Parts: sequence; C-alpha cells; structure tokens
Amino acid sequence: MFKNYIKIAWRSLKKQPFFTSLNIFGLAIGIAGGLLISLYIYDELSYDTMFTDANRIYRVNADIKFGGPARDFAVQSAPMAATLKNDYPEVELATRFRTVGSMLLKESGTETNVKEEQATYVDPTFFEMFGVSLLTGDTATALKEPNTLILTKTAAEKHFTVNEALGQTLVLNNGDTYTVTGVIEDLPRNSFLRDHSVFMAMEGYADSRNTEWGSHNYQTYVKLIPGADAKSFETSLKNILKDYVMPWAQQIYPGVTLEQFEQSGNYIRYSLTGLTDIHLHSDRVAEISPNNRIENIYILSFIAIFLIVLASVNFMNLSTAHSLKRAKEVGIRKTLGSGRAALIRQFLIESTLIVLFSLVMALILSALALPIFNSLAGKEISLPLLNPVFWLVLFTATALLALLSGSYPSFFMSRFIPVKVLKGSGENSLGGSKIRNVLVIFQFAISVFLIVATLVVYQQLRFIQNKELGFSKDQVLVVNDVYAIGQRANSFKDQVQGLGFVESATLSSFFPTPSSRSDSSFFKEGSTEQENAINMQTWGVDYEYMPTLGLKIIAGRNFDRQFGTDSLAVIVNESALNILGLQPEEALGLRLSRDLGEENPEFYTVIGVVQNFHFDSMRSDIRPLSLNLADNSGSMAIKLKAGDFSNAVAQVEAVWNKVAPGQPFNYYFMDESFNTTYEAEQRLGRIFMIFSILSIIIACLGLFGLAAFNAEKRTKEIGVRKVLGASVGQVAYQLTVDFLKLVGIGILISLPIGWFAMSKWLEDFSYRIEIGAWVFVLAALLAIAVSIITVSYQSIKAAIVNPIKSLRTE
Amino acid sequence: MIQIQNLKKSFRTEEVETLALNNVNLKVEEGEFAAIMGPSGCGKSTLLNIIGMLDNPTEGSYKFAGHEVGGLKERQRTELRKGNLGFVFQSFNLIDELTVFENVELPLIYLKESKSSRREKVMKVLERMKIAHREKHFPHQLSGGQQQRVAIARAVVTNPKLILADEPTGNLDSKNGIEVMNLLTELNQEGTTIVMVTHSDRDSHYAHRVINLFDGQIVTESQNRAVGAMM
Repeated sequence: MFKNYIKIAWRSLKKQPFFTSLNIFGLAIGIAGGLLISLYIYDELSYDTMFTDANRIYRVNADIKFGGPARDFAVQSAPMAATLKNDYPEVELATRFRTVGSMLLKESGTETNVKEEQATYVDPTFFEMFGVSLLTGDTATALKEPNTLILTKTAAEKHFTVNEALGQTLVLNNGDTYTVTGVIEDLPRNSFLRDHSVFMAMEGYADSRNTEWGSHNYQTYVKLIPGADAKSFETSLKNILKDYVMPWAQQIYPGVTLEQFEQSGNYIRYSLTGLTDIHLHSDRVAEISPNNRIENIYILSFIAIFLIVLASVNFMNLSTAHSLKRAKEVGIRKTLGSGRAALIRQFLIESTLIVLFSLVMALILSALALPIFNSLAGKEISLPLLNPVFWLVLFTATALLALLSGSYPSFFMSRFIPVKVLKGSGENSLGGSKIRNVLVIFQFAISVFLIVATLVVYQQLRFIQNKELGFSKDQVLVVNDVYAIGQRANSFKDQVQGLGFVESATLSSFFPTPSSRSDSSFFKEGSTEQENAINMQTWGVDYEYMPTLGLKIIAGRNFDRQFGTDSLAVIVNESALNILGLQPEEALGLRLSRDLGEENPEFYTVIGVVQNFHFDSMRSDIRPLSLNLADNSGSMAIKLKAGDFSNAVAQVEAVWNKVAPGQPFNYYFMDESFNTTYEAEQRLGRIFMIFSILSIIIACLGLFGLAAFNAEKRTKEIGVRKVLGASVGQVAYQLTVDFLKLVGIGILISLPIGWFAMSKWLEDFSYRIEIGAWVFVLAALLAIAVSIITVSYQSIKAAIVNPIKSLRTE
Repeated sequence: MIQIQNLKKSFRTEEVETLALNNVNLKVEEGEFAAIMGPSGCGKSTLLNIIGMLDNPTEGSYKFAGHEVGGLKERQRTELRKGNLGFVFQSFNLIDELTVFENVELPLIYLKESKSSRREKVMKVLERMKIAHREKHFPHQLSGGQQQRVAIARAVVTNPKLILADEPTGNLDSKNGIEVMNLLTELNQEGTTIVMVTHSDRDSHYAHRVINLFDGQIVTESQNRAVGAMM
C-alpha cells in the first residue's frame, strides 16, 4: 500500500513539472536560508561552552560613575581577585587577565621580530580555571615564575617546534627576556580568548600587586563551587565597597563616607556575567574580545523563521491552488471507495516527497553558498555533514515542515465532495482562495518589511560613513608598533617628515580609530570634593597631532614648542566643557589636576579647546577628552599629500627598514580602519539584503505559480471578455491588478511595522538618520514592480490565447 | 453584410493537417436570419468563429460590411468586432464573479461609454429581456433560461448589426428554448442580422434560410417560407 502511495505521488509530481519545480525550488531556497542562519546562530550560541565548568565561571564587572558619564567596565581593580578568593567561601578559583594588546617576539640573539596580535598577563590558576591543558610543560609550575610565558601552538611554531619549546627564551618588545614554560593548543574561534596567543606569568607584572581599588584594568574571572548561588554571591559583592573600596578612598579624601559618595550621585556596582553569556550579552568597556549582540541573533532567528514560513506558505498556496486540477481525481477516488484518511495520507506523502527533494537541493545550495555566507558573516562555518545530530535535527525539521506544509492542502483536497467536483460545476465552489489571498498578503508584508529594514540599515551606514567626523581620516597612513623601536621613533618621525609627499606626521598611542584608550579623573583647582570630579579620556599626543588629523581649535591654541610651559598644558574638547559648564573662551587658563589627595598636585592649564570629533562608535555620544603633550609613541600617523599612495607606503617602509632593521612594518590607512568600526552593521546590512532578496524570490515564485493558476482558472472569463471586445492589454491589466491589490495590502501592513522596528533599531545610535518617507515609497515601488513583472508574464500569456480555445464547449 | 468567397480553414496538429472548411461561399444580407446546420465536426463552429472575427481563414476572402476582414491582425479584429457583433453561446458564458448588471455592462465598458449611458442602456435591455429585477444577482443564482436571457441582453446591449448565436438553446429546456428563439426573432424583426448555428430542426425553422454544412462544405441551402410559424 505504502509503495503504491509513493508510486502515485511520484507520478503525479512528474505529471506537473512546472508546479513541482516551483514548489521544490521555493522550499529549497527557504530551507537553505534557514539552514545557514541556524548554523550561524548555533555557532554564536556555542561561544565559550568548551571550557570546563563553563557554567560555574563568571566574570566580575564594575559599573562606575565617578565624575563624567557612567561607564560599565568588564575589568576590575587588581586586588579584587585575591579578595574574592579569600573572603568568599563560594569562590573556588579566581583568575585575572591583564591584556596588553599586540606584542613583538624574537628569539634571543636574533633581530627579526614576529608580531602576535594579542598578548596578556595571566594568573597561574588559568589552567585549572578553564580546564586548559598543556601540549608540553607542567600546569602546576608553568605560569608561577616571573618572566615565563606560554604560547599557543601556532605562535610557538613560528619560532620552534612544540617539542623543542620548553626552556627556550624569547625577547618581548625588544626588552625583557622570557622563558617558554608551556605550549597550549590554539584557542577555539568561538572562545573569548580566540585572538590570544601569548600568556605571560602575572607574577612578573609588578602592577598586579597594587592595592588600588579605584583603578580598573584586570579582567577577573571566578569559578564558584558546585551548587553555589550566583545571584546571592553577586548581591554580597556590595560588601566589597564598604570593606575595601571606602577605606582605600578615605586615604585620598580623608573623612569621605559611603553615604556622601552615594549622595553625590556617584557609584561603584559590582556584577557578574556568566562566561557563556559574555559573547552575546555583554557590551562593556575593555571587553577582552569584540562581542556580538543578542539582538542580532534575535533578528536573524526572526529572518530564518520568516524564510521557512514563507517557503512553507508558498507550498500551501501552490498546492491548494493546484488542487483544482486534481479535484476530479479526488472525486473518482472517493467514488471508488477511498476514505478521507487514505487521501490525506496520499497527499501527505506527496508533500513529503517534495520536501525531501527540496532538502537535497537546499543542502546543495547551502554548500555552494557557504563560502559567500562565511565571508558575509565573518565566520568559518562548515556543514556538519558527519555529525549525526545535524542529520537528526535536519530530518526532524523536514518531517515537521512536510507535515506543516502538507497538512493544509491534504485536508483541503480530501474534503472535496465527489458529486460536485465530478459534475464539473465545482470549480468555483471550491474555496481556499481567501486563505490563499491572505497568504500572499502575508508573504509580501514580510518581503516589504525586509526591504525597508535593508534600506534603513544601509542608509544609516552611509550616514555614519559620510558624517562630518571632526577629523580628517583620508590620506592618513598609520604605522603601528613604533613603540618597539624606542628612542629611534623620533628619528623615524623626522625622516618621514622630510619626505616630499608627507604633509605632517605625529606620534601617539591614541587615535580616533580603534586604538588605545585611557581615562582619568580631573579636579578643578580649588575644588577637591569628589563629586566635582570630571572623568575624561586622557591622550598623550605631540605638537603635530592637531594638524596631522585636521582637528579644529575653536578657542585658544595648539601646543607650541615656543612655550616651555606646554608640558603642563592641556587641550580639552567641547564635551568636557559641557561637564564643566563653561564656554570655550572661559575655559582658557583653567587649572586641572589628576593628583587629588596628594600633597603637591600637578596642575595642567587649559590652553585650547578642540572642536568635538568622533573617536568612538556613533552608537555613543562623544565623551569628554583631554590632550596633553607626552612621549607616547605607540603608532605614527602620517598625513600624505594627494598622489601615489602605494609608492608613499613603499618609501615610508624603506625609511622604517633603515631606522628599525628587523622590525615588522605594520601599517593601515585610517579611513579603512574607520570602516571596520562598523563591520557589525555592515554585516547586518548585507545579511538583511541577501535575505530580503531571498524572501522576495520566494514570494515571487509563489506569486508566479498563483498567477499561472489564476489565469488557468479564469480561462473562460478571459475568453468571454475578449469576445466582448476586451483588448489583450485590458485583460492582462485585469489579471495583474487583482494580484496587485493583495501586494498593496501586504505593503500597507508592513510599512508601519517596518517603521516601528527600524526606529527601535536606530535608537541604539546616538547619531542616526530620520527614516524618510522615500524609504517606504521605494520599498513599496520595488515590491510592486517585482510583482508586476512576475504576474504579467502569466497574465499576458493568458490574455493572448485565442478565445475560441477557451470557449469551446465540445 | 457578410460576403465569403472560397474560404478555407485548416488546422495543423503535430502529425496531420485537417481541413475544417473547404471552399465555402456564403452571402448573408443585412436583416437576414440564417441558420447553419450540420452534424458534429462539420465545421459549423469554425465558420461561425470566422464570421465572428475570432479566427482568421487560412485562405479566401471574408468581407464584413464591405471591409476585408480575412487578413486583419487581432487588434484590428477586436476593434471591428466591438459594437458591431454580439455573441450568444450554448453555455451562456456569463462571468460568474460579476452580477447580471455587470455582465451586461461589460461590452459597453470596452466601448468606453460613460457610466450614466451604460446604466441607461443596461437597464433598458434588461427590462426588455424581463430580467431587470435580477440585476444584482449572480449567474449561479439564475435558472438556465434566465442566464441565456442575460447572455442575449449582453449580446444586444451595444445594438450590434450582427448577432452570432452558437446553439443558443442547446442547454435549455423546450419552454425556455422557445422563449429565447422568440427573443432572437424579435431582434431580427427590428433589423438585426442573425447567424445561428444549431442542431435543432425546430430552431432552424425560425430562420429565413438554412445552410447545411457537411465535411467543411456547404451542401444545401434552403429558404424557409413560414418565418415565425411557431411564434
């Protein structure tokens, strides 16, 4: 019996190649899209789950408001880790990371450095905390001694084989010598330590023993004992403030009490983030690696569900529409004794066959699309074809999809009443057209929503990229790791400035593109109350910083070599003035200090006010900033005159190689680096675009099939109209307009939803566009144009048929 | 009004060419009522389709009111058909989604008549067909006879010079059939030319002239003397 069902199903699918292929293709696109997004989401949700006891590991955060705007930090003060381990019995282990960014490594006695992107100091509890094992070396001793380090396999193999690694010595940043005490596997792509390849013993980092509770630089993780209640532990962290932070603060502000501190509107709040929550639920200052946002996961899940529902809706639409052709078959089968259940089974088997074909096609499509998708999403996902769980999930989902998509058509068709359908009069009494209309409306509502979303994301991106930033990012070449050549940096700068195509060059570690950040609290002279503290970014720069980056002074002056006192001068931005409540001219001469509580504080005099410029993402407001002269040569920015940039790079590199032989030459152009700041948004935009195109393709496939069906159903009517004098154009118009009405309703439904959702999305940006009416007009026109093209082919085809054929009664 | 000379119509299928009409010569004068009879497959409907400008002949000449129609493009045929020709079909061919009024109104819409003029003409013809009280009903709510009256109303609403009727009583019982034939006779008496294809001897008696087709050729033509004998 079952074999018979399959045979009949196969034949009936073969008999209608057009509808069958529309169905299979539409579903395949939907499944492929859904599959790719699911793999992406699965990968995102898997972050940091590979670590031992990941569910018991938490990062300790600090939310701080202390002068200036509130900041949420992912880092802690140095003494926090040991205090937690000593005072709280539920803490089994505590581990700190002190990240230092990139690091140059060379074997002792050699000149050639190799750059590692991320290096960090770490406590020796690292191995036990995260369950990391050594390929070579002993976890009990590996990170105990100062000037020892462990490397990942890849980093180690740049210098020696893993087996030879133990006991080798490496020179870091052309300075201290470290001994290799272990090698670990490379850290997984989906872990918070993914880019880290050098781990140095914390023991050798003197700052790690400081007892300053007000300085936050250490990523601090704790592992709680099994069964410990993280919530109540988090609540009890309040005591730290009372027991440790205030006694420390009183050394600086004698007599200050917790109540006074809180009354002035300032606070320090400690909280926990579960290790596995960090990647999607944390967006704090000093994250160890860039994170994603859970909202993006929601949006993508939403799109995946949309795609599959769209495809499934298509399937239902095409099947029920097509059912009219099969009404006679149902009538005959019922007359011959088939029960309803048998018919339902038969139709369900047909839909299962279609879904299975679609699944195969979807797998092929996704395998083909995976490389593109990976580059879009910045992932290295592969189809887990060898994983039985993948197949289990896939087949369960397929079965569900077949049931979902097949059930409505099956029940619909099996309900036909034989007498009616066999008399042939039944065509118009067979319902279902209302539901089909609703489904078409639904599909187009989704498609138009996605078009609106795509347009808004792209428009916002363009806005960000074209917004007046307050600094000039074009034609600026940045050479990294200048710190590695120490005192020779100035010689390098002088020689570069001598090159004909260079306008100016500046040495600093702080740039408006992603680079170092540092902030301090300042006090006005004569105002020692902690509530009047101003927290500002504090950047060390040189005399050429302003002209090189095209920053604009709106009051006062730039640093000048003629003034010997400029070593104690400071230039602040407009946001700092807002906090101080001063006009630009009023601020000149103001004296600020960072050394409150000390006997002879050092005061900086405000000599200039720089116009606000964007140095963070447009998601946040421009923060207060202070610039002071400092010998701070992390990188060098070079403003080039217009011309041949590749030649310029080559010449600068030649100078570098002369000044710093053996040092790797790393550079980037500032405008390119700026664009990577918005990579997440760019990805989102691209993903939206791809999937809105996919959803439109699916919707159009459905519309195409429905138009074909509709033309077929209305053959007689078209014939009559033509006999009565309608032209081809009039008939085609009539057929098209009926569908456009549905598309129109879909548009009307989606526009307000699109407006609402995208306004919400934009709220994340401090600097954002207004959604213009043209976005909706364009989205609507696109949907209408695409549907006209889709439908008109069938409409015109139907309209040019000779009416004699359609009206033949014999 | 209709002048057909040496008209041929052949159909090609994949393998064979069938000659549906072979050397047909026919003249229908203005005001005439002609019936075309013959067995199934003899070419009656093909001839009617060509007369109705729904199809082109393969060879020969067809002049309608002095204009050569034979080689016209579809668009030109549509233009010539509009307002000049009315069609009545065996299976009525009303549009199910439109009301009685809307069905009858359709040819006037394609003639781009104003709304008020359409309303006036449709109501007039519906009253004449004694179906005006059903103007808001849909076809499936009417009896067969009523549906055919609506179809006739639709055929005559533009006041055409020629009505082509393809077995107009084929789907009706005898009482309704007689009623329809009386209506057609009445229209003819008012000056409308009618060409009707029929199987029914009874219906053919309403015509002035009966043309017998067999295997695509006219075999006999006979004049009816007692026109309207059965009225």
